[in-house]
Amino acid sequence: MPAELRGSHGDSAGPVLTRLFGTPGLHTLSVYREHGGYAQLRRALTSLKPEDVHAEVKASGLRGRGGAGFATGVKWGFMPPPDGGPRYVVVNADESEPGTAKDRYLMENSPHMVLEGICLACFAIGAHDAWIYIRGEYDGPYARLNEAIAELRGEGIVGDKPFGSDFPLNIHVYRGHGAYICGEETALLESLEGKRAQPRSRPPFPAVKGAWGRPTLLNNIETLATVPWIVEHGGAEYAKRGTERSPGTRMMSVSGHVQRPGNYEVELGVTFEHVIMELAGGPLPGRTLKAFWPGGCSAPVLPASMLNVHTDMEALAAAKSMGGSGGVIVMDDTWCMVRAAARLLQFYAWESCGKCTPCRIGGDWAVRTFTRLLDGTGGAVDLEILDRIQDGLQNGRCLCGLGDSAGWVIMSSMRHFREEYEAHARGECELCGMRQEVAASA
Amino acid sequence: MALSSHAREEIQALPPHYPQLRSAVMPALDIAQEELGWLPKEAMVEVAELLNLDTGYVEGVATFYTLFHLKPVGPHHFYVCTNLSCAFRGANDIVAHIRERTGLKEPGDISEDGLFSLDEVECLGACEYAPMMRYEHAYHYDLTPEKIDALIDAARAAKTASKEGGADAS
Ligand SMILES: Cc1cc2nc3c(=O)[nH]c(=O)nc-3n(C[C@H](O)[C@H](O)[C@H](O)COP(=O)(O)O)c2cc1C
Ligand code: SF4
Ligand code: FES
Repeated sequence: MPAELRGSHGDSAGPVLTRLFGTPGLHTLSVYREHGGYAQLRRALTSLKPEDVHAEVKASGLRGRGGAGFATGVKWGFMPPPDGGPRYVVVNADESEPGTAKDRYLMENSPHMVLEGICLACFAIGAHDAWIYIRGEYDGPYARLNEAIAELRGEGIVGDKPFGSDFPLNIHVYRGHGAYICGEETALLESLEGKRAQPRSRPPFPAVKGAWGRPTLLNNIETLATVPWIVEHGGAEYAKRGTERSPGTRMMSVSGHVQRPGNYEVELGVTFEHVIMELAGGPLPGRTLKAFWPGGCSAPVLPASMLNVHTDMEALAAAKSMGGSGGVIVMDDTWCMVRAAARLLQFYAWESCGKCTPCRIGGDWAVRTFTRLLDGTGGAVDLEILDRIQDGLQNGRCLCGLGDSAGWVIMSSMRHFREEYEAHARGECELCGMRQEVAASA
Repeated sequence: MALSSHAREEIQALPPHYPQLRSAVMPALDIAQEELGWLPKEAMVEVAELLNLDTGYVEGVATFYTLFHLKPVGPHHFYVCTNLSCAFRGANDIVAHIRERTGLKEPGDISEDGLFSLDEVECLGACEYAPMMRYEHAYHYDLTPEKIDALIDAARAAKTASKEGGADAS
């Protein structure tokens, strides 16, 4: 476990998810319960109906924190009526979107908050088994979840009669094995079923035919971690925070060229100026900010002149970007945008699952083109090639969002930093000195 | 047979934990890799037999995921993140330093002393501690050349100690 908490805690604690962070022993069942933990699960199991929990989540307006921002209450409503067979809650703890570290932060600091949310979701949709799919590299959070689940078993909260109710609950943890695409929900389900993680075409949606062919609710860790608070205080109270269409708070992982990188809980609608300059302390001494990716590297990059953009999903859409995963990657004027974009394309090319031609071919093609631009053997024609590749990757030509994201990196970096691309096409870049390093380290 | 009887038993005990048999394939490969350090073809064949699955299927899974090693790696394997947030904070210098101290050159190499190997990997989800890496099933944060040196020295000292103590050299 990290020695030092970086992000919201103590005085700067956010109002919903992180309010208790920094409390010694918060990860243990006893301390979590001393602070009211599992009171909502107990209340739900002993005196609420599943519809009551669902209604609060719906009223909260909570939107998925995994990347797509889909309304959580609406998604829960897609679950078909019970047919007597099993159904599952599958929790996305794959967290592989570059720049995103908040699910790890939540699991490490308050595993029981996460687990209580998962149990409440199980109750609301009538599932007795939850499966947490956690990326294989997360040794610490994996251990922490297992310890927490063992504590719950010991107390009978995971078991046949939690809080004396007739609603058996079981939570399983499944480890991933190093593939970004496993974060995509249908690829995750394939992986959970023991297969190569290639996305499925939809429909059928997971609600109808999900894990092991059964109805499945799939949500992100942070999304479900928010549920205990919503059940306690009511959906309407949650909806008072944030903006009308992006209610509540969310975790933002701020990293890169800032003084205080960390995971900060913010009310949706604050500006990136607040997040980057105040919470994360602004640029390193003597440096100037150049750009930021506002929602993981898959969210189109914005120039530092747009720090006044607000963090709600509508404001980001208007700025031609998106809220994505909440990972804010900050870059200053010591780095060259072409080189940064090249590094990201290397990522997408490597992580492509290979199922669709534009993504499989386009990624490698882009990397080769970037390599020419970086080592000085490229020219103006390479900018046209990149333009063609980004178009080919987008707009529904690929089965899943990975292809689009790769296209957006090229498109958005060229849109805002065209002059850096042109300098590279001429073979001159003062910032990176035309070093080949990045593309060569694949 | 590549696997110990203990590992074989563990693998055979897996299926009831999952709604369908196939979900046991990756946990089974984990057990095999934990014991052998990597996944030789015989191990995949054995896992397939133990779980009553097609060998081709098991290989298909093992080759898709990067955490399965299809070639031997050193007992001390560095997974250094070089995605953007870590690159911005000096990850490439950390990689260069590891190479220099261990003599590793190409991806897939094992150092001459048999101790180390290195993968440059994508974001490990701990960007606020950049540059960072995964090493021996733990995350290491705010990396500096000095921290790397300490780990390398510790691994070398452990090897020397185990030799001198007459125990099996690792
Ligand atoms: C390429 C790709 C990678 C993704 N990676 C993640 C991830 O690591 N974690 C996550 O929660 N969602 C990820 N998503 C989004 C999921 O597909 C899905 O929308 C989300 O987990 C649903 O949960 P939510 O509604 O609670 O956000 C990814 C999507 C795509 C297209
Ligand atoms: S877009 Fe890329 S990652 Fe997604 S399914 Fe197609 S090939 Fe696979
Ligand atoms: S970029 Fe290195 S941990 Fe995220």
